[in-house]
Order: sequence, then structure tokens, then C-alpha cells
Amino acid sequence: MADILEISEVSKTYDLDGENPVQALDRVTLDVAEGEFVSVIGPSGCGKSTLFNIVGGLIAQYEGSVRIDGRAVDGAHRDVGVVFQEESTFPWRTTLDNVAFPLEVQGMGKPERDERARKFVSLVGLEGFENHYPAQLSGGMKQRTAVARTLAYEPRIMLLDEPFGALDEQTRMLLGDKMLEIWAALNQTMLLITHNITEAVQLSDRVVVMSFRPGKIKEVISIDLPRPRSSEVISTPKFGEYVGRLWTLLREEASRGMVEAEAELAAR
Amino acid sequence: MAQAGVMAAAPAAGADREATVFRIRALTVVCLLAAWEGLAALGSLEILYGDVIPSSWKIAVAIWGEITAADFYRDLGITFAEHIVGFVVGSAIALALGISMGLNPLLRKAIEPYLNAIGSTPKIIFLPILFLIFGTGIDSKMAKGALSAFFPVVFSTALGMILINPVLLRVGKSFNLNRWHTVTKIYIPAMVNPVITGLRLGMAITVIGVLVAELKFADGGLGYRLGNYYEQFRIAEMYAIILIIFALAAVANMGMTRLQVYANRHQGGSGAHSLSVATN
Ligand SMILES: Nc1ncnc2c1ncn2[C@@H]1O[C@H](COP(=O)(O)OP(=O)(O)OP(=O)(O)O)[C@@H](O)[C@H]1O
Ligand SMILES: [Mg+2]
Repeated sequence: MADILEISEVSKTYDLDGENPVQALDRVTLDVAEGEFVSVIGPSGCGKSTLFNIVGGLIAQYEGSVRIDGRAVDGAHRDVGVVFQEESTFPWRTTLDNVAFPLEVQGMGKPERDERARKFVSLVGLEGFENHYPAQLSGGMKQRTAVARTLAYEPRIMLLDEPFGALDEQTRMLLGDKMLEIWAALNQTMLLITHNITEAVQLSDRVVVMSFRPGKIKEVISIDLPRPRSSEVISTPKFGEYVGRLWTLLREEASRGMVEAEAELAAR
Repeated sequence: MAQAGVMAAAPAAGADREATVFRIRALTVVCLLAAWEGLAALGSLEILYGDVIPSSWKIAVAIWGEITAADFYRDLGITFAEHIVGFVVGSAIALALGISMGLNPLLRKAIEPYLNAIGSTPKIIFLPILFLIFGTGIDSKMAKGALSAFFPVVFSTALGMILINPVLLRVGKSFNLNRWHTVTKIYIPAMVNPVITGLRLGMAITVIGVLVAELKFADGGLGYRLGNYYEQFRIAEMYAIILIIFALAAVANMGMTRLQVYANRHQGGSGAHSLSVATN
């Protein structure tokens, strides 16, 4: 499989007033193959969203290079779709109109785009809610709407920034199954940010572990579990091994993060 | 003295509550009328100032007299025209400026202090200047109306632009939206609610601005009519005009509230909350 995405030596420093520069990313290098599912996991504030914003073309200034199919990325890219960490559906649009949004701005006619959108609405399991407004949906349903909207854009690479972060464990696990179904059905290249080790192992071909500030790649772990998977793999011993390994790696980072955060607070 | 009522749109929460609310409202009207009649009776017995409070029957007759008089409609037309022109001109300028301020942080930073300073001053102090510039006719009332409408609309528009959810803009960016689509598909729908709120407030304040100007110096309009009756000590007619203005303002406000509820129909049923308008 050819690499669709090549991230090499990407660094990013936020410098708001030239006073307190924050280095969010430090020489991050990662290649992603077409059709691969890669999770990125790391402590809060380690630069995960920053990395996605760079790949998605939403941050223009950074060092290093990002290439898609060998072409350098500058600005928002047609081949990349993003599902954001925050709630991002348009409150004035129904589920169907939200999902049809990227098609609408591409100039597709209403009957055609509605038909296409319906397909993606049912893919994320929201049949029957086509005419609901976001205010009438639960948090999980809103995030699924956002996922369907990005799917409708049909990007070659889909970046999911903790779309289910705010949801309870059970819902998240079921949505994980859903994402696997979609991933398999569409052969979609997906990058997922998560804080959840179980989710990362359940879904991914590879898990990227990032370290706390400056955000670096600490380790990349390949998950050799048979596919198709569902949330049932969670009870297998091999699954437990992966979770244990990731937890050890992350615990160091998380505690370092906590110590530094406390020191920062104390310094104020 | 006129007592302005406060309109309240009760959220539908059971027919029971609705009925109770209605009963309280009806009772309020009855009590007010009874108190009014009591005071009127004291007046005619020479215990209170006579004629300051005419009986409600006299006022009803005066209202009838007004709405059947031809020159009443001339004055109504004048006030209406002043209000509409002032409101449209003032809010159009305010919308344009508010949107520019939202899109251009530099502009906002530059002019915000001035807007804040003038916005928090009672606009009535500019009245003499407007009379000097535009004369005492219909033009100065329109100018006052525009001045009154301008501030609530510019503030709510600029604020709406600033408070727009940044994630929605990032969504647009990630879908490669051009500038036109960013404005028409994200900014405009997101701005509907703050803009209507501003327009509603602006509309109410314009009425006040126009009437105040008419009371001061005019040769026509409802405010002018009101001032005349006052000077001639035709108290019942004076009250009639006050009540007519009150009714017209209430109807206009109700219309705007409807519009807002309609614009907000997707916000999970929590429609517009009515606010009472405090002004200078
Ligand atoms: N726009 C910005 N301006 C300045 N600093 C920023 C900005 N965005 C992020 N940062 C800083 O960069 C670092 C990385 O932020 P980022 O949002 O990428 O973290 P994250 O890994 O996504 O965290 P979380 O898991 O909590 O979402 C943080 O220290 C943050 O304070
Ligand atoms: Mg983040």
C-alpha cells in the first residue's frame, strides 16, 4: 500500500505576544498508508489537535512538510476532511441539511445531494432523525451528524479529533463499532485522536503515542489483532496486552504532564 | 402619566398554567380600571385635582373621536413615515457598520470607544443639533429616529459577529468554502438571531426617539398632537393618544417577537424572550 499522507519533521510553536512561546509540536514524522486506521493518543495539551489542524490546512504557519500523494499541502485541502473536537453541527440546519452541507456548497442540486446525504445519515445510524435540528439531538447524535457530514465530503483522509470524547463509555464503544463498519465499508483512511486506550486498540492498525510538551512521537505501536473487529475483541488476552503496554507508556507522560501543570500553577 | 405595560411571552407549559396566567392578566386589568375609576371619582368630587384623571368612559369617547378624525390620520401618517424612514436608514447603516466591525478587528478596535461613549449618552442631547441641521419639520424626526435605531442595531450586530461560534468557521474552512459561501452559509444564518434582537430593540427605541422629537418641536405627528392636547388641557384626548401609541407599540413589538420566535424555531423550542425596553 502506498503512503497517502507523509508528515515529516513538523514543528509548531505558538507565539501569541512574543512573550511566552509554547512549542506544541517537535519534529513529528509519520506516514500513513491508504486505507489505514491510525489513532493518536497522548496527554492533554500535547499537540494532537495542532497536528490535525496542520494536516487539515487550518494552520498555515509551521515548520517541516506535509504531503498528500506526494504533493505539499498549503491551505485547506480537498482530500482532507475534519471532524472537530467541539460540537460543530450547524444549529440552523436539520440533520439532513447538515450532512448535505459540503455537497450544497459544491453546487450539487437538491434532489441529488439529499439522496447522497441520506446514505451517510443511515451509515452513522441516524435514520428517522433526518428532519431533526441539532437542539433536538443528543450529544452523541450530534457528533455522528458531524461525522456523516465529513463523510459526505468524501475526503480521501478523514481526521477525527476526539469526536466521541464527551460521551459515556458504552456509547463510545458502540460508536467505535460503527466507525469500524464505516471504515471497512468505505475503505476510508482515518486518523483518530483519542484519550481512550481501549478505543485506540479496538479501532486501529497503528497507535501513535505522543509525549507531553513539546509534543513528540514517543512510540508507534502496530496492533496485530484480526479484522473484522468489534467491541468483543476487548475480552481477548492479546487485547489486554496492548492496553497494558499503552498504559505504561502513557502513564509516564500523563504524570509528567501533571507535574508540569502543577509547577506552572505554582509559578503564577 | 402613562404606565407602560410589559409584554411577556409565556412558554407553553400546560394549559393549566396558561389559564392561570390569563386569569392574572385579566384581574390586573380589572384592578387597574377600578383604581382608575376610583381616582377619577375623587377628582370629580374635587377631592383630588379635578380633570387630571378623567373617567375611562370619557377616554373611550376621546379615543373614538380620534380614530374618526381625519387629521388624526394625517398625524399618524407623519409619525409612521418618520419612524419607518428613521428606522430603515439607521439600522441599515448600523448593520453595514456592525458587519464590517465583525469582519475587521482593526476597525472595531478603532471605533468601539466612540460608539460606546455616544451609545451610553442619552440621545436627546443631540436634539438641538438635529433641529439646527434638519429644521423643525419631518426631516429632523427622521434623523432622530435613525440615531435612535442605530445604536442597538450596531451593538447587537457587532457582538453577534464576534460571538459567532469559531468552530463553525473552522468547519467552513475545512470544507474549502470560498468567501461568498462563508458569508451566506455561515455568517448570515448565524447572525439572524442577534440581528433580529437588535432590530426589535431598535424599532422600539426609534418610536421613543421620534415621539420625543415631535413633542419638542413639530408641526405634525402623534407626539405633536399629544403636546397640543396637553397645552390645551384636553386631558381625555391626551390619554386617548397615549393609549393609541401604547397599542401601536405593543402590536409592533408583538410582530417582532413572532418574527424572532420564527427565526429561532430550530433552537429547541426556547423561542425569543421578550424584554422590556428601558430607554433614555
Ligand atoms: N491557538 C493557540 N494559541 C496559543 N497556544 C495554543 C493554541 N492552540 C493550542 N495551543 C497550545 O498548544 C498546546 C497543544 O494544544 P493542542 O490543542 O494541540 O493539544 P491537544 O493535544 O489537542 O489537547 P487536548 O487533548 O486537551 O485536546 C497546548 O499547550 C495549548 O495551550
Ligand atoms: Mg485537542
